[in-house]
Amino acid sequence: MREGEKLKKQGVTFKRVIFWVITILVMIGILGPLLWIYLTAFKSSADIFAGSLNRQLIFTPTLENFKRLFVQFPFFKTLGNTLIMSLGSTVLVMIVALPAAYSFARWNTGGGHILFNTIASRMFPGVVASIPFFIVFRHIDLLDKHIGIILLYMYFNVSFATFLLYGFFRDVPVELEQAAMIDGYGRFNIFRKVVLPLVLPGIATTSVFCIIWSWNEFLFAFLFSRKVATTVTVLISSFWGSIDVQYGTMAAGAAISILPTLIAAWFMQRYIVRGLTFGAVKG
Amino acid sequence: MVDVRFENVRKLYGRKVAIDDISFTCKEGEFYSILGPTGAGKSTILKMIAGIEPVTSGKIYFDDQVVNNWPPHERDVSMAFESYNLYSHFNVYDNIAFPLRAPKWKLNLTKEEENKKVTEIADFLGIGKLLDRKPQNLSGGQKQRVSLARALVRKPKVYLLDEPIAHLDAKLKFSTQTLLREFAVNYGSTIIYVTHDYREALALSDRMMVLRKGKIDQIGTPDDIYHNPQVDYVGMLVGEPPMNMVDGILVSRNDKTFFKSGDLFEFELSEDSAIKAQKHAKNEDNNLSVRLGIRSEYIKVSDQKISDNSFQLPVYAVAHEAESTVVTFELDNSFLHSRISRGKGYDSCRSSEKVWLEFDQENIYFFEKNVEISKA
Repeated sequence: MREGEKLKKQGVTFKRVIFWVITILVMIGILGPLLWIYLTAFKSSADIFAGSLNRQLIFTPTLENFKRLFVQFPFFKTLGNTLIMSLGSTVLVMIVALPAAYSFARWNTGGGHILFNTIASRMFPGVVASIPFFIVFRHIDLLDKHIGIILLYMYFNVSFATFLLYGFFRDVPVELEQAAMIDGYGRFNIFRKVVLPLVLPGIATTSVFCIIWSWNEFLFAFLFSRKVATTVTVLISSFWGSIDVQYGTMAAGAAISILPTLIAAWFMQRYIVRGLTFGAVKG
Repeated sequence: MVDVRFENVRKLYGRKVAIDDISFTCKEGEFYSILGPTGAGKSTILKMIAGIEPVTSGKIYFDDQVVNNWPPHERDVSMAFESYNLYSHFNVYDNIAFPLRAPKWKLNLTKEEENKKVTEIADFLGIGKLLDRKPQNLSGGQKQRVSLARALVRKPKVYLLDEPIAHLDAKLKFSTQTLLREFAVNYGSTIIYVTHDYREALALSDRMMVLRKGKIDQIGTPDDIYHNPQVDYVGMLVGEPPMNMVDGILVSRNDKTFFKSGDLFEFELSEDSAIKAQKHAKNEDNNLSVRLGIRSEYIKVSDQKISDNSFQLPVYAVAHEAESTVVTFELDNSFLHSRISRGKGYDSCRSSEKVWLEFDQENIYFFEKNVEISKA
């Protein structure tokens, strides 16, 4: 008996150790790069390339990276571009995805086939679409234009947003809409006054997902912009030159541009988890 | 106010028949109940009147107009749902006021007028203190009353109430029932009321319908339904304990007719009863087979022989209630209950004691066998 209990206790301890080891590894994986970014952003070039670990961690903080970033590069312009594209594409996504998801959820429009195709469009690698898009965009003069990239982001986010929202709309009981019909409201007013307020958390979650995705997007911004419509991710990547890598400037740019997504994720974490499980399980 | 008329209405869910070719008229200003067990199709009828379930075939009329294709918001009805269906993002006040604000009715109430109407109906139903609460913070009974208030706040052509007091506790049920009756009388409104509780239907209705498996068993006044059931099912649905059903055969001897139930008992039928019995009897295995129905209060129980027409059975169980005693006897495929009012019969009998019974011939019914009876 005693032996058994001992073994059991050992088992529990072992499980705990494994749990913490994995947790710590994951934390290092997540926080390590963040730490590197924020440390590097405040280092002088000499400190960045210093050999000893001591100087890697203990150094005199400097703002020279930020100064260079703000003065020599169009950082705020590209950040503004990113903002415009993220918000613009998300608004367009919502305009399309809200009625689409509502229609799928309430009337099973297309008998499930259209919904499946909508989701399937997200299943192939995005880069596959890049060449046809590029050709089309060149013909209709959308290259290096804000609206061009907004439309691209919209294309990629609509399917995902529709799928997420579909789950939220499915959670609104149809009887509630029937009650509103009997109470004397037409379709549009029911959607506005009854359905929409009930799926508001879902809309918030979906919007945040779309904004974060567009904010972080690099590939399409890189391919479809030259000067006018470059986003902050493209600017930061340009610090990786052919002669040298400007780690300091890169880190300073990253340090600022990841802040909004970090904050958004922090505030929305409760909703996001809920939104994901709603969409995934019920959809 | 309108007449609501069903003409050969059928409703299928896939291949399942929910409503099977029914026709009836609910007259203007009538309190009309639909009584039936779960799954009989009661709510389906209401939903078809409201327009949220389409009709498979047949016609629904409001007065002389066919409304089959009218959308719900054109029909001008209001409905209290069994599942409440409250708007969870509104508080109680806004829930009740929601139908008043619909552009469709063009009420254009001022804030004061709206407030007056909402508080009036809320106070009437005893939920005046809950107006600021959200539905999530209400008990089941409170939610049900909010749902009822939302249905009653407006003056539509027809009120459709789907089990509107089913989830209230006994005391509140009784008082709300009284309020509903008062409401109906005050406003002379057409009310179609769905319930599975025969007491509510009997207490409230001007007329009522008994529905079973999508078909109408009987339509009549509560008095008719209770005292003059046309089919065995109606008798068994209404009353507590339910009407006793005894399967037996008719035997003729020396120009007299006897009702015989297996080897248990036999008694002579009066002339009137015999005629009624013959009408419903069916030939089965060379016997005239018939089902006899009698309410428990019309079975006399005694420790001595009552008359030549009485017979003996052993007592199966005795249950004493406040006002009466229910004595149960075991038959071949069912139980026979006799209710003895306090001090008006032999209510001190014990189980397995053999006692004498007599059926009051004025109050026996005969039916064709419609539903299976069992001891369960």
